[in-house]
Amino acid sequence: MKHLIRNTALATTLLLGTGIAHAEWPTDRPIELIVAFAPGGGTDVMNRTLAPYIEEELGAKITILNRPGASGEIAYTALTEARPDGYTASSLNTPGYLTMQMDRKVRFDPKKLCPVARIVEDPGSFIVQAGSEFNSLKDLVEYAKANPGAVTVGTTGLGTDEHLAMLQLEKSAGIDLTAVTFNGANEARTALLGGHVMMIGINVGEFVGSDHSAFKNLGQFAEQRSVIAPDLPTAKEQGFDVLVSSERGIAMGCDVPADIRTKFSDAVHKALDNPEFQEKAKQQSLALSYLSADDWNKEMPVRAERLGAIWKLAKEQQ
Amino acid sequence: MDFINLLALGFGEALTPTNLGFCLVGALLGTLIGVLPGIGPTATIAVLLPITFYLPPLAGLIMLAGIYYGAQYGGSTTAILVNLPGEASSVVTAIDGYKMAQKGRAGSALAVAALGSFFAGTVATFGIALAGPTLSSFALSFGPAEYVSLMLFGLLAATVLARGPVLKAIGMILLGLLLGMVGIDAGSGEERLTFSAMELFDGIDFVVIAIGLFGFAEIIENLENHEARGVLVSKLSRLWPTREDFRRAWPAVLRGTGVGTFLGVLPGGGATLASFCAYSFEKKISRHPEEFGEGAVEGVAGPEAANNAGAQSSFIPLLTLGIPSNNMMAMMLSAFIIHGITPGPTVLATQPEIFWGLVASMWIGNLMLVVINLPMIGVWVKLLTVPYRLLYPAILLFCCVGVYSINNRIFDVVLAAGFGLLGYAFRKAKCEAGPLLLGFVLGPLLETNIRRAMTISHGDPSVFYERPISLVLLIATVGMLVLMVLPSFRRTREEAFQEEEA
Repeated sequence: MKHLIRNTALATTLLLGTGIAHAEWPTDRPIELIVAFAPGGGTDVMNRTLAPYIEEELGAKITILNRPGASGEIAYTALTEARPDGYTASSLNTPGYLTMQMDRKVRFDPKKLCPVARIVEDPGSFIVQAGSEFNSLKDLVEYAKANPGAVTVGTTGLGTDEHLAMLQLEKSAGIDLTAVTFNGANEARTALLGGHVMMIGINVGEFVGSDHSAFKNLGQFAEQRSVIAPDLPTAKEQGFDVLVSSERGIAMGCDVPADIRTKFSDAVHKALDNPEFQEKAKQQSLALSYLSADDWNKEMPVRAERLGAIWKLAKEQQ
Repeated sequence: MDFINLLALGFGEALTPTNLGFCLVGALLGTLIGVLPGIGPTATIAVLLPITFYLPPLAGLIMLAGIYYGAQYGGSTTAILVNLPGEASSVVTAIDGYKMAQKGRAGSALAVAALGSFFAGTVATFGIALAGPTLSSFALSFGPAEYVSLMLFGLLAATVLARGPVLKAIGMILLGLLLGMVGIDAGSGEERLTFSAMELFDGIDFVVIAIGLFGFAEIIENLENHEARGVLVSKLSRLWPTREDFRRAWPAVLRGTGVGTFLGVLPGGGATLASFCAYSFEKKISRHPEEFGEGAVEGVAGPEAANNAGAQSSFIPLLTLGIPSNNMMAMMLSAFIIHGITPGPTVLATQPEIFWGLVASMWIGNLMLVVINLPMIGVWVKLLTVPYRLLYPAILLFCCVGVYSINNRIFDVVLAAGFGLLGYAFRKAKCEAGPLLLGFVLGPLLETNIRRAMTISHGDPSVFYERPISLVLLIATVGMLVLMVLPSFRRTREEAFQEEEA
């Protein structure tokens, strides 16, 4: 009996020894999905919700590793430096990913980072106190025209969605607004509640998902109304050219063999179609908006150009 | 009444099996580290912070709060029985408590300490429950200008209340402000003091500094001390105060509760300061000041009530305004933020279960602590025999795991180790690290609020003195500044801290 065990163990060892190089992707070891933001944030929760459904499609294990910092640059650098064997993927978020390349030299080569799928497109929007005299962007613009600089807008920093949206509205309507920077959406919301700023920027997903009896929304900044807010008019419908949204998706290194990337991409697509996942996405007010790797890749430069133009505006103002 | 409903909601939350369990864990851990000299609540909470992410928000907060006030109970046990104050806040308890124990009144001293703490904890908890809703509606009228004035006041208060020379405290605060500037500036997008290290773009993590300055540094410093073991543990007789002790203790408990509750709310205050002040207060008003130092029961009752009241009431500014008054509360603030909750007026409105659950758990925790500490006192005393050669490596390991797990990177661990060495140097130079941590937390808040106030007013500085709340705070700040410069006040301050040195 003892012999048998030892022989079997030996045979297994041999098999494994020769098998390492040939094990078919993705069954060899768990796929590491790097999340570029802290645990508990929107990106993290989305990826953790989706991962089990991708696992189901691939028949593989996915482990999630949070590598927050530098708006995602740390995660993107880690992804491009990982072995190109298809066992490392990362979250990919715009506009952060695109704006970080405009201002300075980033620590990773953007050409080495290939999108796998876009999962969410969450439009930006502006909210005011529920009792505010403004009911639409038009009301706001009229007031701002009469009182240049008097409208204060809470943003979460330079080059963030809200800041870019504000700049676009200024340009499109020919008005002058005052940006006030806050550390995070919670602080901005408290300031709005206390009446210290008149308006703040917020993603539609955040607005829909939270208690909003104290606020009203003036309009969303997407081409079309988002699936989660079908009754909220877009800025375009109100006659202003404001287009800003946050995209969340997944990327892999471009050196990963194309067939592996395609397989992974297909699995993500199928996972998104899973009714169970869609139910959960609805609970979390995720503005699902799938784009295939190719489509997202084609759309990205257009978006980058648009952001670049606004970015220039921001720099001129400083 | 609405108040009753909210309190009922709080107790409903705090009494769920999970929350009750974590409350007990916190109270036990607090007592444990309170008993062990050399390991304080600040270091413990710094180590446990990253772990709380894996808990539900309320459970994590309940546990951390339990550690803080639990340490106040545990610290007094060893102070009385073996003259080893487990915590800074029980240093004064040892003066009269140990004398009482030597005279065979250990049981009486322990009971007075525990019951006094419980009474003070109950009063202060009700204080939070009453002040919370009132203050938080007031807090909404706090705009950027008011925050700037409040923080100026807080930073100045921190220098006055810090131990040691004012100049050192100011130096530490300035260093804290400097460290708080590291990272990409949100207003301009420029890198500041990052030395091109990508890991520093978001600034230094609070936990990294806290574990370095308190966790690592504390262990290095303790390695220097030869283990003061083999101390005689005083005999325990009856565990109940005599009628005479009772009669003398309860007014002292009342006064201690008042002093503690008040000082806990002040920026820079908290348990340690409260206990020192209560002791000098008791001594000053006593008709038998000569008994102090020889086993006066008031000298145990007052400070013990005060440190517990101070530990509880320091939650008030954090929960209502979102401003930490001392470094322990700064830790609690990051515990909230880990869970995506920004403490402040909106939490009370949108997540009442967090505020009221925490408040209710504090009362339950205090009740648990009386039970944990009185009948089980023998167990805690035995703990003093665990050799530090086993304890320290374990703590060090926890520190490293904790720091690594914040962002999953080695960089943070190395940085924390660097801060550990720095913290050791500070201790050698007799510089308190507390003001540094406060400067680190308040600095960025101060800066962004100045910016906001100036942007909103379009560059007009009159907002700071035209808004009434801000004006009052500024006047208070100037008043404190004047006091600081006055020679008579400086002498009193030095005297107050001399007692502590002795």
